[in-house]
Amino acid sequence: MTITQRDLRDAIVLDLKGDLTYSSRAVFKAAVAQFTNASCPHLIVNLEEVQFMDSSGLGLLALLSQSFKLHHTRVSLLKPQSYVREIMSLANIPTMIPIYETEGDALAASAA
Amino acid sequence: MDLKMPQPLLSVLDSSAPACASPATILLVEDEPVTRTSMAARLTRLGYRVLEAGNGRVALEVAGRERPDLIIVDWMMPEMDGPTFCETLRRDPTMKSSHVLLMTSQDQPAQIAEGLVRGADDFLSKSASKQEIMARVLAGLRTGRLVRELEVTSAQLESSMLQLEAKQAEMDADLQSAASFVRSLLPRQGNPAQGVTLAWEYQPSLTLGGDLFDVMAIDANHLGLYILDASGHGLAAALRSASLMTFLRVENILQMLGSYDPEQVLFEANRRFPLSADGEYFTLWVGQLHVPTGRLTYAAAGHSGALLSPVQGPSRWLTQASLPLGFDPSAQFASSRVVLQSADRLFMLSDGIYDVPSPTGEFWGRGRFQAVIDAGRARSLCATIEACFSQARGWQQAPHFPDDAAVMGLELAG
Repeated sequence: MTITQRDLRDAIVLDLKGDLTYSSRAVFKAAVAQFTNASCPHLIVNLEEVQFMDSSGLGLLALLSQSFKLHHTRVSLLKPQSYVREIMSLANIPTMIPIYETEGDALAASAA
Repeated sequence: MDLKMPQPLLSVLDSSAPACASPATILLVEDEPVTRTSMAARLTRLGYRVLEAGNGRVALEVAGRERPDLIIVDWMMPEMDGPTFCETLRRDPTMKSSHVLLMTSQDQPAQIAEGLVRGADDFLSKSASKQEIMARVLAGLRTGRLVRELEVTSAQLESSMLQLEAKQAEMDADLQSAASFVRSLLPRQGNPAQGVTLAWEYQPSLTLGGDLFDVMAIDANHLGLYILDASGHGLAAALRSASLMTFLRVENILQMLGSYDPEQVLFEANRRFPLSADGEYFTLWVGQLHVPTGRLTYAAAGHSGALLSPVQGPSRWLTQASLPLGFDPSAQFASSRVVLQSADRLFMLSDGIYDVPSPTGEFWGRGRFQAVIDAGRARSLCATIEACFSQARGWQQAPHFPDDAAVMGLELAG
């Protein structure tokens, strides 16, 4: 998996490309740690180019949600593909992390 | 004869000229005594330890005993000539890497080629200047030293490899032992209660798997059922699963909660098994079957793997969106109910059986799995489960699954 960071005015976007699985844990955690150091109030995880997510990938999102909740930092998910969306829905991830279809929607919800 | 080496040339050619360390040993093999004595004196004056032999046969004995750093051998000798000496040396595993300079009065290309083919490393013309002789000796010693260093390194690598292989074998044996133990925890196939048949198949992605399941008698009329899936694979996942499995034992749950009510079991498990610091967690499906009536009460924590296959009509998933264990400490888990009829089948499975990619990356998926279950109504429970595994393997065109794969089936008597 490759992760590219994009800085917006009020958020940082992580563009994920590849599968979010057990083997991509280190890359994902490193990218989140970099975000944490940036002291930004909103992280947007762009899943548009993630084709597969396994149970470890779901665990990483849950960990992210729990950790950010403690630090009052907002996290949003962006444009998951249908298969990934189904997996996340079965694990009820949308009740923990909001999912948006556009960056604009994610930013607007954050500003509201 | 003045055989002094010009100092600048010496220092350039040999960074380890015999000075303070123990001198290099050269075995000089020459049948002509005057030539041999002259060459030996020359080498001795340069600080080398020189051993002498008058023919190839004697030289082999000396070489075997003394292991010289360099061997200079004459081509023409009685009893055993230089090339034959080289061939014999190369066949001996203890001496085959010795560095050999073959001395000859001829320097025809054909003869040089023959010498190299028969085992010489370099040539020394008997008509060579003293500078050339010393340069070749130094080069030969340097090459010989490098070869010995390589041999030592190679021996160390081989030794390390053997140690690693021994350690690996030890770990594999431990893992196999642990895998056997985990497998022994799985329920016995057959009839867990009168009128109920149980069959299952389980293939962990590694030696040890994190998917476990069980069917247990709660009392004379009730069976407790569950399937759990630990995120991750291997030893850590298996240990965590064994821990949850211990928690889910009927005696433990009854002592702790007073009943095997699925939503209470999940609530307590959620409290006791939080998300780990690495983001590891469990999904769990728990059911309680009242055997006389077929009434099944079930609840799930993020686990999507229960499929009801009625004797009439298509199968349907017994699942609803729910959080896995540990995602939210305050999560509630609602039970649902369904009544199984005679000859109905209930399958509990891990997602590893259908999250199986084809060589082009397309997943086999829940739909295809469900189709195999539906088509299996004409087959036995056991054969239906086998068909799931064989078709999933066929889809991915590989014998091993990327994730733990488990399917457990229950069938009520018809």
